[in-house]
Order: sequence, then structure tokens, then C-alpha cells
Amino acid sequence: MNAKDEIRNFLQEHVRSCKLEDSQDIFAEGLVSSMFVMQLVVMVEQKFGISVEGADLNRDHFRSIEAMAAFVTRKQSR
Amino acid sequence: MDSSPKEGYMRVILKMPVPAQLAQELEKRLYYVADEIRSFKLIRQQDEIHALDLICEWGNEADESPLKQERLRDKINELIRNDVLSLRVFPKKVLWRSPLKRRAKNCSFAALKDAGVAFSCGEGLVGFGEPLISLSDYFDRRLRSLAMSMPGCREYRYPTLIPTRVLETFRYFESFPQFAFFVARLHNDLDVYRSFLHEYQENHGIPDGLFSHCHSHDLCLSPTMCYHTYQQFQRQELERDTIVTSKGKSFRFESRYSSGLERLWDFTIREIVFLGRREFVLESRQAFMKRAFALMVEFEVGGCCEVASDYFFATPETTLKLLSQRIMEHKYELRVPIDGSRSLAVASFNFHETFFGEAFLIKRRGGESAWSGCVGFGLERLVYAFVCQHGLDAKRWPKAVRDGVAQNHDV
Repeated sequence: MNAKDEIRNFLQEHVRSCKLEDSQDIFAEGLVSSMFVMQLVVMVEQKFGISVEGADLNRDHFRSIEAMAAFVTRKQSR
Repeated sequence: MDSSPKEGYMRVILKMPVPAQLAQELEKRLYYVADEIRSFKLIRQQDEIHALDLICEWGNEADESPLKQERLRDKINELIRNDVLSLRVFPKKVLWRSPLKRRAKNCSFAALKDAGVAFSCGEGLVGFGEPLISLSDYFDRRLRSLAMSMPGCREYRYPTLIPTRVLETFRYFESFPQFAFFVARLHNDLDVYRSFLHEYQENHGIPDGLFSHCHSHDLCLSPTMCYHTYQQFQRQELERDTIVTSKGKSFRFESRYSSGLERLWDFTIREIVFLGRREFVLESRQAFMKRAFALMVEFEVGGCCEVASDYFFATPETTLKLLSQRIMEHKYELRVPIDGSRSLAVASFNFHETFFGEAFLIKRRGGESAWSGCVGFGLERLVYAFVCQHGLDAKRWPKAVRDGVAQNHDV
């Protein structure tokens, strides 16, 4: 399973009200509360072995499946 | 035996060193560890803080026991483990910077006292006279006008006291127990009045056991104005997006962080609350920020607006809140330089999602919870920051402020 699929599965487990589109902004649409962002931070750190620090702690990296997958890929390629 | 308070020095070696980037987070929590701490110094080694030097005031000689010092060491290490090391380091993120490069003048609270325009009434309490009163009235008038020019804005006056149950509605005491001021009064009972009076006369003052006579804890001093607004709209369905402004006294126990007019236990806020749809709340916050920045330029006050977070009392849940608030940029602060190295937050611009809507059962049309946001200006801080940059002599103030203050009595 690639990073995008894993992220999609994780998010979909927490968002039951609709089928998520990859570009859908989960915060702007009120699908999850802002507190959920920390769960996402911890999830990508643990699942993908990356460290999210400093400027990485930015909501833009976590607002959609697409944004998170791109962020993880970028971090892994460094 | 001499029972007068005694000051003593002690060093606390940290069990877990604190990264230097978290120094500020440690500093803003230390005075809440114990009332005995009078001052502290962080001892750094390379990029870490590995010890603290404390000056403590002990009630009497017996208190200054190794056991008590040991407990203080433990509490500090607990604070570091639970409250500080669980945080992450965020880079400073600036949203707006004033085009004016103003340097703060050599102003201080001591200078204001020497000039006879301000005086201390006790820890965290300050009184002031002219020209600070006129400045405060003028700034508030302008901020109120900004609020009232927004569509449908209504103004309310709220009481100084707030029912404790209102704060419990949104679990205030679990997030900010350190700030709370409870209002005590004697229990309404003739026997209690008699017994209190007897003890008062015997003691020649308030008896140590005062609170055994105070059965009531149903009122608090309000920590901010917007909580009154949520109570006002509790269990209501909003017919339309709503804006409310109010000005009033607010109270937070700031421990020994109180300092002149910078950080008071008793201060004045002009607040603006937005309630309704998400887009409406976010757009209103943005619109107000834009106008507030323009006002700062008009007042010729230099400064910047940056992402900030509240100081929640640490529990696993509130630590999550703090980190989320920061990542999601739910709080911005307008900071104004007040001397060569320090700046003061004079306003905050906040977004709460549906936190208050859910807690107070405030609904939008159709029954969904209302979103909310608020803007709060600390008037004493704004006045102090202004005189730090422009001084007390009105003749040297920007023309707009001079003219505006002169009009105070015409409006």
C-alpha cells in the first residue's frame, strides 16, 4: 500500500459521514475538529518514520489526503 | 522565634534538560509552581537549560526545611516533564508587520509613577490618570467604531461578575485553573455573621479560617468579555450571523508575572464576538484584523501580528489543544515593541470552531452548532505600548491621536 492509500484509510476511519475525495479540505468542511491535527502529526511520524518539527508543523500539510501524501513523500525523499 | 518571611537561594538541577527553544514556555509557567518563588534564573549549557537558580521566600524557618525544598524541586521537574517537554518548537510566523519602524522610548512603569500619572494599588492592580485616561477612552472609541461599522453589530454591557456555572459550561477550570478568581462572600446566615464578627474582633482582622464561613462559590470575576456573550446566546438559534461588541473589566491571576501596566490581574478589554457560519466568522476576523492594522498605522504604532497560543494548564487534553491551536493558526496576537528587546501583546484574534457553539448549545438556522471567533484588545496594554513609543507629552503624539483625544469631550 502506498502512502496516499494508507493516509486515505486512516482518515476515512475517522470521517464516517462521507467518502473522502483526495483534495477535500477536512478542516474547512468541518469534517474533523482542529484537535485532530495532532493525531495526524503523530500518525505520519509513526507510520512513515518521519519527524514533524518546526516549519513542518503547518496546517497546509494536513488539510487533505493529497496534501499529506505530498508532504510525506517530500520528507521521505530528503 | 522570628516569624518574618525569609528569602533563600536554592539551585534546582533538572532531571531532564529543556531545549533552549522552549525557554520561554518554561519561564511563563514557573511562578505558578509555588507561591514561594520570588525570582528565578535559567542556567544554560550549550543549547539546553540544565538547572534553575531560585530565590524563594519561606513563611518561617521551619518551612525552609529540606523536605519542603525537595518538594519544590519535584514540582519543578514534574512541570518540565508534563507541561514543557510535551510541547513542540514552532518557528515564529508573522502575518503582518507595521511599515513604521518605531523605536520604543525610554518609558517604564516607574517613569509613569514618577510622573504621577499611574500608581500601584497592590500586586497586579494599577490606577492611572491623565493623559492615560484620555488615550484609553480614545482608543476604545475608535475600536468600538470599527466594531459598530460591521454589519448588524450590536453593543452590550455585561456585569463584572460571571456565574461559576457559565465557566463550567465549557470546562474553563480544566484549561485555566491558574487564572480563576472566585468571589467569596459570607454565607447568608445570622449565626455565620455573628461567628465571623466574633472571630474578626478577636483576631483584629480577617480570620485565617475565613473560608469556613463562605459556603458560596457560585460567582467568579469574569476572565474575559466573550464568555458573557456565549451565555447570552445560550440555547438560542441564531436568525442570522451575529456580531457583538462589549467593553468591561476582566480578571486573571497572573501570579508574579504581573508587571506595571503590561500584565494586570484586573484590566479592561474591548471585545468583538462573531457567531454564525464558519466563513462568516473567519472573514469577519480577517476584516477586523485588516482594520485594526490600519488603525495601528494611523496611531503610528510599530509592531507585528503573529501566530500565538493560549497558556493552557497542562493535561494531556489541553496540551493537544495548545498544539492544535498553534498548527491550525486559531490565534493571532498583535505585538508592539515596548523597549529595545521586549514586545507586548495588545490584542488577540481568535477562532474557536464550534467549541463554544457546542458547549452553549448556540445553533445556526437548521440546527447546526454555531462557529465562533473573537477579537480582544487590552486597553491598558495598548495605552502603555503607545506611551512607550510616543511618550507622555501630547504635543509629540501623532496628529490623528492628538486630535482624537481632544475630541473625547465632544462626543
